[in-house]
Amino acid sequence: MNQRITAIVLATAVVLATAVLAARSGVVHLPSNQQDYEPEQPIAFSHRLHVGDLRMACLYCHPNAERSRVAGVPATAICMNCHRFVTAPLGAVRDEEQRAAKAGQTPRLVVSSELRKLFDAMGLDERLQSSPGTPPRPIVWTRVHNLPDYVAFDHRPHVAAGVTCQTCHGPVETMERVRQTSDLSMGWCVNCHRAANRTGIGGRAVRASIDCSTCHY
Amino acid sequence: MPSRYWKSLNERDRPHDREDHATRLDAEPDGASRRDFLRLAGFSVAGVVASSCSRAPIRHAIPYVAQPDGVVPGRARWYATTCGGCAAGCGLRVKERDGRPIKVEGCPDHPLSAGGVCAVGQAALLSVYDRARFRAPQLRGVASTWAVVDADMRSRLDTIRRGGGGVRVLTSTVHSPSARGAIGRFLDTLPDAAHVEYDEISASAILDAHLVTHGVRALPRHLFERADVIVGVDADFLGPWISPVEFTAGYARRRRQASGPLAWHAQVESRVSLTGGKADLRISMAPDEADALVFDVADIIENGRAGSGAAGMLAERLLAARGRSLVVAGSGDLAMQIRCNRINQALGNYGSTLDLGRPSQQRRGDDRAVARLLQDVRDQRIAALLVSRANPVFDLPGGDVLTTVPLLVSFAERPDETSAAAHVVCPDHSAFEAWGDSEAVAGVASLTQPTVRPLGHTRAFIESLSMWAGAPAPAYELVRRTWRETIFPRQTAVPDFDRFWDATLEAGHAAVSAATTAGAFVPATPNSNRPPAVPDAVHLVLYHKPAMPAGEHSYNPLLHELPDPVTKIVWDNYASIGPGLAAARQITTGDVVRIDTGGQSLELPALVQPGQHDRVVAVALGYGGAMTERFKTIGHHWFQSRPTVGENGRIGANAVRFVRVDDGRRGTTASGVTLTRTGRTHALACTQDHHTLTVPARLAPAGGERWPIVQDIAASDLASSEPGPVESPANLWPEDHPATGHRWGMVIDLHACTGCSACVVGCQIENNVPIAGKDEVRRNREMHWLRLDRYFSEDADGQHMASQPMLCQHCAHAPCETVCPTLATLHSEEGLNQQVYNRCVGTRYCMNNCPYKTRRFNWFEYSRDPGTEHLILNPDVAVRSRGVMEKCTFCVQRIQDAKIEARRLGVPVKDGDVQTACQQSCPAQAITFGDMNDPTSRVAVAARDRRGYTVLEALNVRPSVTYLKVVRQSSVAVAESEHDG
Repeated sequence: MNQRITAIVLATAVVLATAVLAARSGVVHLPSNQQDYEPEQPIAFSHRLHVGDLRMACLYCHPNAERSRVAGVPATAICMNCHRFVTAPLGAVRDEEQRAAKAGQTPRLVVSSELRKLFDAMGLDERLQSSPGTPPRPIVWTRVHNLPDYVAFDHRPHVAAGVTCQTCHGPVETMERVRQTSDLSMGWCVNCHRAANRTGIGGRAVRASIDCSTCHY
Repeated sequence: MPSRYWKSLNERDRPHDREDHATRLDAEPDGASRRDFLRLAGFSVAGVVASSCSRAPIRHAIPYVAQPDGVVPGRARWYATTCGGCAAGCGLRVKERDGRPIKVEGCPDHPLSAGGVCAVGQAALLSVYDRARFRAPQLRGVASTWAVVDADMRSRLDTIRRGGGGVRVLTSTVHSPSARGAIGRFLDTLPDAAHVEYDEISASAILDAHLVTHGVRALPRHLFERADVIVGVDADFLGPWISPVEFTAGYARRRRQASGPLAWHAQVESRVSLTGGKADLRISMAPDEADALVFDVADIIENGRAGSGAAGMLAERLLAARGRSLVVAGSGDLAMQIRCNRINQALGNYGSTLDLGRPSQQRRGDDRAVARLLQDVRDQRIAALLVSRANPVFDLPGGDVLTTVPLLVSFAERPDETSAAAHVVCPDHSAFEAWGDSEAVAGVASLTQPTVRPLGHTRAFIESLSMWAGAPAPAYELVRRTWRETIFPRQTAVPDFDRFWDATLEAGHAAVSAATTAGAFVPATPNSNRPPAVPDAVHLVLYHKPAMPAGEHSYNPLLHELPDPVTKIVWDNYASIGPGLAAARQITTGDVVRIDTGGQSLELPALVQPGQHDRVVAVALGYGGAMTERFKTIGHHWFQSRPTVGENGRIGANAVRFVRVDDGRRGTTASGVTLTRTGRTHALACTQDHHTLTVPARLAPAGGERWPIVQDIAASDLASSEPGPVESPANLWPEDHPATGHRWGMVIDLHACTGCSACVVGCQIENNVPIAGKDEVRRNREMHWLRLDRYFSEDADGQHMASQPMLCQHCAHAPCETVCPTLATLHSEEGLNQQVYNRCVGTRYCMNNCPYKTRRFNWFEYSRDPGTEHLILNPDVAVRSRGVMEKCTFCVQRIQDAKIEARRLGVPVKDGDVQTACQQSCPAQAITFGDMNDPTSRVAVAARDRRGYTVLEALNVRPSVTYLKVVRQSSVAVAESEHDG
């Protein structure tokens, strides 16, 4: 009888240990761990192109990271600051210009298929004119980084302390589609806070609290 | 000798019951091993791990198309506006997050409310999200559109213009210049038209008395902070009477001040009110005796006659403080109010404590005009009646007759008795959706601005009137036009209207000249008849509760769940009976009694109220309305649950039938009442005895003396007392524990605290505290993080009441932390006692071990009641689910926000940057919060006060909350010191 109980306890321990090890090694994710989540978005926006190649600053599109708890997804009007003029890849525009020059016509407006979705959301027609019949409507993006319930994260102190965006969001400048590179677990947060208290951020000493009520209230 | 405080008659008369409770606490544990149980139970946890393997749900992020200027998602914006909860016109700042208002706070520099806001004003925010609101206009009970309603109204009004018949606009007090203008312009288009105002808490007699004594029908502004001697006669001025926040602020300013003469307050009253509880001298008198007393005081002061007894003493005090005293009466009796005016005039109080030059507009109601209106309706002279911000069918005696008017138009926000009978319902915006203005006191003009788009197809009252008057305009234009034409010329500080408008909109209010003339005293014939006393008659006294000042708020569960400051009963009205009368009639609390005044009768549960006069039965008005039928389903339903509503399907019963109408004026007392037991009982939910604080004898210090929970100090001992609380040397923290950074602490001044309960509602809305419902409260399961413990004490000056705000004390030696098996509650570096909801498994050990009984357990999913009311939830605070312990966090979300903002701007957190919700709302400014490690902070200075003590000091749990003792001025001592000086 005792042997049987010992066997059951041991078997349970082995199963649990395997599960924990598998989860730790990244082979299997526990239900709450969304690491490597890379959902499809309504518009195939490329961070690699905008941040990696064009070297745009993160805060140009996500300025709220500095002044609000949420960095937020940029308002569609921010995209239009550039895409009012940039409607397609340069190559496609040049091709059309050459074709038009050959045919002796004025070049047509070239709009790429992904940017068409943006212009549709803004309620713009083929000639990028707004019309009262098609009011602009917001784009419904899919959230990539979701924190668990009962935790309050605030971007402001992290940006103020000089934590780079990549520290938590990974090499976004290389991503065609945004992927969650960290597991966003509490251990991951607290380890970083402890390390920051030991070594500082960018050579500056910081105080990163590890009190529960820093995040949980 | 400190006073002895008790919470209930049981505790006062049978102290051994309390000893039993203490004895139970004193018993040694019986040796049952909790640890063994835990050890075994721990194994069962292992099996729970591998369940529920679904991926998280897909969530979306929907940005703006174009982010408006100044809007930052996730950041709150604040708008200055004016409170619409009652006619007091307090200044507000409304917190708006992502397009919806979620919290109301007082406007700190407002000339009337001075930063405070009452429970009702804060709870009124729920009116925006009330799911029962009218979403569209109604024509004969059927939802319609504005175009149809307007066409219908125009044709009906044209018929009246041609055919004749009176048109009346019946409202509660309107002190909005725009609304008065719109009503006037509308009435001008009709032949026989008039505007009639009335107030549910009527001050009509005071206005009428000033017409007699001073030649103007006006209500003087009462300036309590200037009064050294206050005599109140049945006027609950710290409760719902006229302007509670303004009066409390003025009254408490004198109580908080460190130097100068202490103000002395005597209250003559028959029932037990909030105001009477704070008085230095409380005289319990039946209404007829109080009438005679005021007559005697007037006689002594005016005719220089020598007095004796209570009247002589009061007169002597008043005469010693000429020009610095104030006599106020709440009576609806004209003769009584004239006597009051004459006393104040003889004492030279007009111009100092009473301001008729800049009178109050907070009560304009004219009861005699209402009586004429009812007579006109009976005589069928009224063709159309338009009712706005009033529910006369419910709260006017004989208001039923109004349903016979050929055209009854209601502007109600939600269905009530009047709108049910109305032919046309034109729902008004809530005060948070509309443009508006007010001039609550002459010269204090303030604006109301919308903080949310209207949730339904509602329309502002003034827009409806201007539409039917033939000059349609949006409310914004109407308000702006009124201000350009009538308010702007009354000031000279800003020469440009647009700049004046913008500045007023930002501040919420502007000071302008008062366009009134102060009346001159008319020595009218004094009423020489001393009112006769009716020696044995039992009087019925009708009153309004501070937390439910009018029937219009009876839709609001926040206010029903708020314990009454005096009786601590929730979700009911009842017949309060003095202990002597109860003993004589063998009535105990909970017995249903029939109150009979000869013509009318009503059955209500009885409540034995210590301190109440034995010839008085007191019943609260404003209950039993149709709006309360919605509470049939409130609370969690399980097999043992009982409904929140009574047998009539409503909350309480409507006592308006007893309101007496004399000479056109409404009186709230009646004599010759008979009281009979019905034999039935009704369970009242009272939070008073739920949480009893005591120190077990074995933990008390040597000598075994148990230190009182509420402590007081005689005014004469103030100078000689030892400063601050004394800490026991036994300290759990190591000597070298760093004292750097912040250590948050709070100081609560029990002398300033009136018990108004604004803090409770402020905390509830800020922290998403759920509403549990009557049945759960009956089972000791109320959820308020902050409660007000009410204690009574008696001495030669009558019965006193002390309200003690009790919240998590964030003890440095917290008993809750050591017993939590999951480390869900533990200490932060900044001295906060943290509660981590994710870790909590609901063992409730912490709740048992908390000596202050401030922890609350979610027995059910209280917050999951679906409805638009959820939109009021604060997104910065977690909504707790079932099985989780919760408690006061010292508003840690506000602490975090202040720290983060300071860090973002690269500046240190300043004293005053963090204000807890309770502190912000307190009209008496009795609560101070801040960093105890900063010796110059206001809270650290206050904690070193001579009056400082900590509750249950004997336990050495080292709470972070320091209380300041109540100051007792014995009437004898004051008399002596005055003679000495």
